[in-house]
Amino acid sequence: MFRRVARLLLFCLCAGQIQLHAQDFKLFDRDVQVHGFVSQGYVYTSGNNWLSMTTNGDGSAAYTDMGLNMSSSITDKLRVGAQVYDRNLGQLGQYHPQLDWAFADYRFASWFGVRGGKVKTVLGLYNDTQDLDFLHTFALLPQSIYPTDLRDVTLAHLGGDIYGDIRLSDHLGTLSYTAYAGHRNDSIYDGYPLLLQSQGVYLKTQGGLQYGADLRWKTPLKGLLVGLSRINQDITATGLTVNQLDPAGPLEAFSSTSKAVWTNQFYGQYGKGKLRIDSEYRRFFTNFGASSGNTNDVRAWYVSGAYRIIKKIEVGSYYSHYTIESVYYGPIALVVPSQTDTSLPANHVYDKVITARVDINRFWNVKLEGHFMDGYGVSTYPDGFYPQVNPQGFKNNTNALVIKTGLHF
Amino acid sequence: MKHIKAFLVVAGWPGLLGQIALGTTLLGASAFAGDVRVIANPSVKADSISARELKSLYLEEKNSLNGTHVEPVIERRGPAHEAFLHDYLGQTDDELQKYYQALVFTGRGLMPKTVSSDAEVVAYVARTRGAIGYVDTGASLEGVKTLAIADSSGGERQLVSRVEPAYPKDLQQRSIGGTVRLKVVIAANGSVEHVDVLGGNPILGESAAAAVQKWKYAAAGSRTTMEISVPFDPKH
Repeated sequence: MFRRVARLLLFCLCAGQIQLHAQDFKLFDRDVQVHGFVSQGYVYTSGNNWLSMTTNGDGSAAYTDMGLNMSSSITDKLRVGAQVYDRNLGQLGQYHPQLDWAFADYRFASWFGVRGGKVKTVLGLYNDTQDLDFLHTFALLPQSIYPTDLRDVTLAHLGGDIYGDIRLSDHLGTLSYTAYAGHRNDSIYDGYPLLLQSQGVYLKTQGGLQYGADLRWKTPLKGLLVGLSRINQDITATGLTVNQLDPAGPLEAFSSTSKAVWTNQFYGQYGKGKLRIDSEYRRFFTNFGASSGNTNDVRAWYVSGAYRIIKKIEVGSYYSHYTIESVYYGPIALVVPSQTDTSLPANHVYDKVITARVDINRFWNVKLEGHFMDGYGVSTYPDGFYPQVNPQGFKNNTNALVIKTGLHF
Repeated sequence: MKHIKAFLVVAGWPGLLGQIALGTTLLGASAFAGDVRVIANPSVKADSISARELKSLYLEEKNSLNGTHVEPVIERRGPAHEAFLHDYLGQTDDELQKYYQALVFTGRGLMPKTVSSDAEVVAYVARTRGAIGYVDTGASLEGVKTLAIADSSGGERQLVSRVEPAYPKDLQQRSIGGTVRLKVVIAANGSVEHVDVLGGNPILGESAAAAVQKWKYAAAGSRTTMEISVPFDPKH
């Protein structure tokens, strides 16, 4: 463990010597901006292994991500850009780079604009910025609502947005809206395909249509923002599966289509001076199957607070609450029992977190974070805990130490 | 404690302990450090700008002013930067940087041009069509124009005729200047009904109020209350 921490510190010290500057260059007489980021984490846990890493024992530093983007204004109203993102988080990502976003944005007026291409989905306070470690106080956002192992589920869509800001009046504040439709295409290196592998299902594709909207109100009370989001998704997963009647035989084709997948999210944020308080509630519902199938009903919320003590140091804490109810229906219900008792550790994760963030300079931060988790919430949908790295079975409680450092320019 | 101090000095944080020690007394202190003047390239077709418009431009919610494409430029640090953040954006530098980074890394905006000093702001604004910036009131303004600021509450009114305030000679000779903030009540017919001095040097405030009392605005449907800033630059 100490060797890994020392390696992390060495990385930090080396990184601190690098002068980071955004790179601009000219292309066809237009300014092109280049920005990027990289982060490296180390996680040590007691209890269960976490986030598909072997975090118990010596801990794990298999926690790296990076992104690089280029953007330019083509005209006063038209902007184009793209970002590539890559990560390795235990068994997730595995350094398979993804096109994170790539779109053209035309803003007719402050109250109306359109975007087309691959666009980050606006959902709640942080869905579209969840990978941008340097923007957040916490090393890990509340996992009940922003599970890093399931980032693909809500992250982006290939399609279009309409958006705008409508100023109501001096006394009523501003409304910002985004509405979108497009195709979601999950990486097979995300958490859900990994969980299915433990059940003998090997996904090749997962995705489908998604459409939704977000409405947020910057209230006249300075620093107070409230909002709500909704997504509907129509998802199909295909791949191969073990023949349950002949487990040693060849794999069979697998396909599953959703009857209903939707997310509702409500959120509020209040900032005053050096204090910021966030709270969000999300309900995520899936129904996969036909005459026989399964529903998952995830209800999650968190409350977080962060306070900047001095310019370079911020401290924060949150409580994150996650419950899941899995109900089977049709013939499968005769052999697989439903899980509806959310007081069981298999159906919840309650996470208490404390964090300190140190900003070494404008480009480099280090975070130290403690998690105290009750439950492991792994029934038919994962929330950080995977059988593959916990073959001995799950323990009820997990404490985690997360050290993370990040650079951006 | 000695070891911690040594580490912090090595890490380039010699003032950190002092900051922590004084943390609670500094927490409530304002970062506001001086007066600021908003400047623009002569191509910008406006002589004044409301605080709301200024904030929208800097937060990239809009990018034009009176039909002119506008490009904001920010200072990396300094008293003018602190004053501008405090007075017009209502954000700390850290919050503003995170705001821009969220735009840049989700593809929803670009990082504004950032320079290191008032002189660089003036030079960039002077040579860049549509550029606007902010500088300390004492900065040289060669090649740029100053935009008057009107913080409106209850609606904006167009200024029709303006009387320049007298600059008391004693103050000008002693290089005493700054920006005076006034609350102005404008009647429906466009005449100025009442002026209150909200901030700034009281002698300059008295002079500004006397001048503003003679200003004439375009007629509107009702009485309007506005907050305006009047700069006094001893070098001009």
